[in-house]
Amino acid sequence: MTVATSSRQSILDRIRKATAAGGGTGDDELQRGYIRKGSLNEDERIALMTERLREYDAEVVESGVADLPATIAAELFAGGKKVLAAPQGLPAQWLAQGVNWRIDGNLDYAELDGVEGVVTAASAGIAESGTIVLHHGPQEGRRVLSLLPDWHLCILRASQIVQTLPEYFALYPHPPALATMLSGPSATADIEMTRIKGVHGPRFLHVVIVRDAAQTRTGATSSAGAGQAG
Amino acid sequence: MRTSLFITCYNDTLFPETGRAVVRLLDRLGVEITFNPEQTCCGQMHANTGFRAEAFSQAKRFVRMYKDAESVLIPSSSCVAMIRDQYPGLFAELGSPTLRDEFEALLPRVYELSEFLIDKLGVQDVGAYFPHRVTYHASCHGLRSLQVDDKPMRLLQNVRGLQLAPIENLDRCCGFGGTFSIKNAEVSSAMLAGKVHDVLSTRAEFCAALDNSCLMHIGGSLHRQYTGVRTIHLAQILASTENDPAEVLA
Amino acid sequence: MSHAVLDPRVAPEFPKAALPVLRDTQLRKNVAHATDVIQAKRAKLVAEKKDWQELRTAAAAIRDNVLGNLGDYLEQFEERCTAAGGQVHWASDAAEARRIILDILREEQAREVIKIKTMTSAEIDLNPALKSAGVHAIETDLAELILQLGKEEPSHIVVPALHVNRSQVREIFSKSMHLEGLSDEPQALTAAARSYLRNKFLTIPTAISGANYLVAETGSVVIVESEGNGRMCLTLPRTLITLAGIEKIIPRFEDLEVMLQILARSATGERMNPYNSLWTGVTEGDGPQRFHVVLLDNGRSEILARKTERQTLRCIRCGACQNTCPVYRQTGGHAYGSVYGGPIGAILTPQLMHMEHAQSLPYASSLCGACYEVCPVKINIPEVLIELRAQVVDQDRHKTSRLFDPMYMGMRMANSVFASAGRFRAAQRLGRTALKPFTGKDGWIRSLPGLGAKWTITRDLRGLPEQSFREWWEKQGRKMP
Repeated sequence: MTVATSSRQSILDRIRKATAAGGGTGDDELQRGYIRKGSLNEDERIALMTERLREYDAEVVESGVADLPATIAAELFAGGKKVLAAPQGLPAQWLAQGVNWRIDGNLDYAELDGVEGVVTAASAGIAESGTIVLHHGPQEGRRVLSLLPDWHLCILRASQIVQTLPEYFALYPHPPALATMLSGPSATADIEMTRIKGVHGPRFLHVVIVRDAAQTRTGATSSAGAGQAG
Repeated sequence: MRTSLFITCYNDTLFPETGRAVVRLLDRLGVEITFNPEQTCCGQMHANTGFRAEAFSQAKRFVRMYKDAESVLIPSSSCVAMIRDQYPGLFAELGSPTLRDEFEALLPRVYELSEFLIDKLGVQDVGAYFPHRVTYHASCHGLRSLQVDDKPMRLLQNVRGLQLAPIENLDRCCGFGGTFSIKNAEVSSAMLAGKVHDVLSTRAEFCAALDNSCLMHIGGSLHRQYTGVRTIHLAQILASTENDPAEVLA
Repeated sequence: MSHAVLDPRVAPEFPKAALPVLRDTQLRKNVAHATDVIQAKRAKLVAEKKDWQELRTAAAAIRDNVLGNLGDYLEQFEERCTAAGGQVHWASDAAEARRIILDILREEQAREVIKIKTMTSAEIDLNPALKSAGVHAIETDLAELILQLGKEEPSHIVVPALHVNRSQVREIFSKSMHLEGLSDEPQALTAAARSYLRNKFLTIPTAISGANYLVAETGSVVIVESEGNGRMCLTLPRTLITLAGIEKIIPRFEDLEVMLQILARSATGERMNPYNSLWTGVTEGDGPQRFHVVLLDNGRSEILARKTERQTLRCIRCGACQNTCPVYRQTGGHAYGSVYGGPIGAILTPQLMHMEHAQSLPYASSLCGACYEVCPVKINIPEVLIELRAQVVDQDRHKTSRLFDPMYMGMRMANSVFASAGRFRAAQRLGRTALKPFTGKDGWIRSLPGLGAKWTITRDLRGLPEQSFREWWEKQGRKMP
């Protein structure tokens, strides 16, 4: 495509000519005077995460590590969920008995659209904004998996929760190829600024925060490993 | 202490009572005041309308005229904003190095009235008496460019007899905007309608401000609608005493 | 509802376009309500953010860094995106961007495409071009869907349908979705849109998106949204085409820690948008397997070359300037005659039009500075407005038609008056005499001819006092320097 090549060159030429005189801030001159590190302890962090998630109408429960399978099962039964999707890498003990599990290998869209919900892990939680981050590894599944089902149960370890957004970025010096940040269920205010929950994405977000305290203590200062999913 | 009064072109022509009030006030506060009769305009109208070359010649004139002044007092926040925000760009583009140096040396000595009283003289109570209900309109330039903050309010709060009535949407423009009020007269009028509504809701007798330009706009509508509410420059309130009450024209 | 013209080449001048809007009760109410709601939410969240000013400083610096080194960053982005399986195209102008997209669609044999709200696609008039090529474009953002089905034009960057109210939405939906008895509850209307679009998401294999950020370091693209229609378009189709202005670059993944914090707070008054999506080229087994990025110049490199105007390109399309603007509050977006309304539109549109069209827009502002105060990337919009006004004035100076322009002649005359104190005094005296016939007994003027009539449409003017300040001063025998 010679036309495209020449446009590329002419655009770059124009840009280089425009910027030749300088005027741009150098990379090393960037002032990052904003708050990067949080100040909350773990309990406060979890409390803030929970509060923010609830502000977005998400349901939040806490669980210990040992009773996590039971907590998940209780959530599923309380929600009356019988047919659920899950990513391939979801730990086997999380797959509650009595549920018809559709493990995602190559489920087609119609199948995914037909299940009652999905259970996934997460890569990180950001307390200040109540954000859950998925990097779509084996425990989190491909992106459509947590999109088409109307009900999403997300398992988030306490050690994965940071207070500030910059703390999340500090965890990932090697950026993920895919990331989805969820801050509550899908919503719109397009009609007369009335906030309506649930447009196209899952209308129901449930979060289990797992108190994995042992890991948290070692991970409090260098939590890069603890933040990695799957 | 001495100061040079730059009255501004529109105060000189349309609102001389404001200038007289500044003189009375400074006399009372013991500040020696001078007036250079060569002064005309700071160039704001031309600059804001896009007539940059014209604005530059007036800006140059201003700097040449006041470069040796101990301080320059300007009872108009938008003219001070013109000098602080736009002169540097004009001089960078069109001025000589000498002019730029003279300007830089002069700039810290240029004061808006409330700045002059509070920052330079260090007075908040100027001994004024004005027994009326007054609402304060924050002109955009005073608010955002000069960031005078609560300086005018502090001065008004110390005026005996004055009842300060807070206005809703204090930070919203009245719609004047210089030639905007002509070029976009209808939109400007719609903005003004909202402002007048807010002024009337305060049930004040007077609407006061740092700028007669906004007041000319707001006052024009208050008069058109027979509201009975009048506009008054801050200087006139501050100059007012029991024995020598404010000079307020019809 | 108004029938707006959002093509700057043919749209009426701002003051004229504003007239019908000012009389539109419904629109005025909707615009005031929407901007009040968003402003209040924004103010609350900005106040809780102790480091807001530091974030603004960092955001402006990041954007300046991008603009100063744009060529390098674009090449880096292209290299990384291509390495990850994406295909990068370069479009000098709108026509070329349309051609590139239509070529891709032809190759895909696409008859239908699903679209995520993108201002850039409106900027290049993509939808009409798609229609002529026989491709049916389906807008999936709720507001855009309302506009598309109702044949309306967007009036706000972030909430494009804010001028349409619930009963109008009900009418539009029930007609085009064939839903009898649809209620006007936003909940029901939203549910109608959900079911209308669901099957389209599942079956249409081609999507078009814009971009919020292009990450040079990784070749990734970021889109923020609220409804999930974006995630649908980004993950379900076989083929995805992303159209992005060349200025959408940010250097590093890490820079998102600043950009995401300021964007949601400024745009919708949220701590974070409900959904942020980031993807990098093509990921096997996840999402579209064919991915194209179209990098659009369309006048941006010219803006980049201009010292004062360059800051326009820092814009992240948050719309905060619109919500706070007292002019926009009266008129909404349509009067701006472009998809970019409000203060940012007033500076961006004329520049994208190479200053040939939309010359009334730089004057569509009272220069109150509220836009600059809220701008999360510190664009000094008043400064750019004044710069553009100067260009409008200067480009026409040599034309003889200016001799008949009362504003121009008045300004020239005023300049000569201000150049000399003697002339200024004479002008004061002349003005006094000239205005006397229009001045009533009470000293006030109720009606003026010519340009002055624009003032007296709604305001009186106090007549000129008998004595100017300088005349009084001299009479007092007060000190002259």
